[in-house]
Amino acid sequence: MAKGTIRLCYRKIIDASSQKVWDKYVFESSYTEFLMQSQLYNQGKKYNSFAEILINVPGAEKLHFLVSGAIVGYVQQLNGIVPDMLDNLGKHFLSFSNYRFEIINSDIQDKTAHQVAINFFSNPLLWHDTIDNYLLISAADAEKCEDGILTNLVQLQPFLGIYSIKNEIA
Amino acid sequence: MEQSRKKFLKNMFLGATSVPFILEACKKDSTTGSGSGSGSGSGTCTVAPTETAGPFPTITPSSYVRSDIRDGRTGVALTVNITIKNINNSCAALAGAIVDIWHCDKDGNYSEYGGTGMQSTNYTAVHFLRGRQTTDANGLVSFTSIFPGWYTGRATHIHVHIYNAAGTSLKITQIAFPEGASSAVVAVNASTANGYTKGMSGYTYNASDNVFSDDTAGVEIAAISGSVSAGYILTHTINVAA
Repeated sequence: MAKGTIRLCYRKIIDASSQKVWDKYVFESSYTEFLMQSQLYNQGKKYNSFAEILINVPGAEKLHFLVSGAIVGYVQQLNGIVPDMLDNLGKHFLSFSNYRFEIINSDIQDKTAHQVAINFFSNPLLWHDTIDNYLLISAADAEKCEDGILTNLVQLQPFLGIYSIKNEIA
Repeated sequence: MEQSRKKFLKNMFLGATSVPFILEACKKDSTTGSGSGSGSGSGTCTVAPTETAGPFPTITPSSYVRSDIRDGRTGVALTVNITIKNINNSCAALAGAIVDIWHCDKDGNYSEYGGTGMQSTNYTAVHFLRGRQTTDANGLVSFTSIFPGWYTGRATHIHVHIYNAAGTSLKITQIAFPEGASSAVVAVNASTANGYTKGMSGYTYNASDNVFSDDTAGVEIAAISGSVSAGYILTHTINVAA
């Protein structure tokens, strides 16, 4: 008997130290877009950091949304599979249809301060059990086969959380 | 006996080589390791990816770069033609300038994060009515859109942000619309058949608008031609110092 229907959230952090090609593209594109869009809220370049702009300029929180336009194409290239997140067989398995982009830090003078996150919200999953520090889960819409429902083991790890839980089983 | 001893030694050897491999896997991706390794090894460490490589990312332009910015938003058709000229060059056409425009939909709403703020991968229209084009040799950019509606406190308007080719801001401004009994603004907002429900009751006219009221010469007001049925064409020139 499953414990409930959950959605996992993986908060993928991307910054100047990111090594993967996809991450680097997101880093470059989002920084370029930040430099462009932030000028609307930072006329005269009074502030350098995203934090200063956010504190001092009304409406600047829209920059999260406005800068996200630059990375939409990259998210689509993932074909609905959450990056980095592997099951214990070493395979990418977690599907998603929703995400949220956020700027963590940035600076118009210092590219190395640019740090963003993409929160990937998984599609609904059945949480069957917890084994050691692994969640035993299956897709909420998985069909039964001869052996029952096919499952994945995913390890609890930094930047992975349970975004939501419903006690009724989908 | 000798056979089993050989097997044992062989397993030991395999064990010895696999330990550094696991440690390496931990080191490679520090965000996925729990960092609480107590010597037992694999239990505290995420497996490394073991599958066929790909998909391979390709460089993709910002989703704003497009001429049709409707994203499924309905309303009276509007073509927006903006010419950028350079006041530092005798008002000659400015080629290669980046022009962002954005405006509200027929109901007066802008695209922005709302509610949970989650974006959907299969609903790509989250940045509706926002677009970016680069001016051609004549300084022209053209967008396919819908006639903006209005909201309390503001006259009908389109936001414009002009950058040089390097992305440095040259001008942030807004385009105003002509008014009067026979104006497009009046005709469109009366067009319930196209989903415009507000009419002109409570409308803020340019003279009372906090952005346009100082524009007594009307340089911010665009030229509009066309009809509700055929759609409208907006033509406007913006001078910048580039």
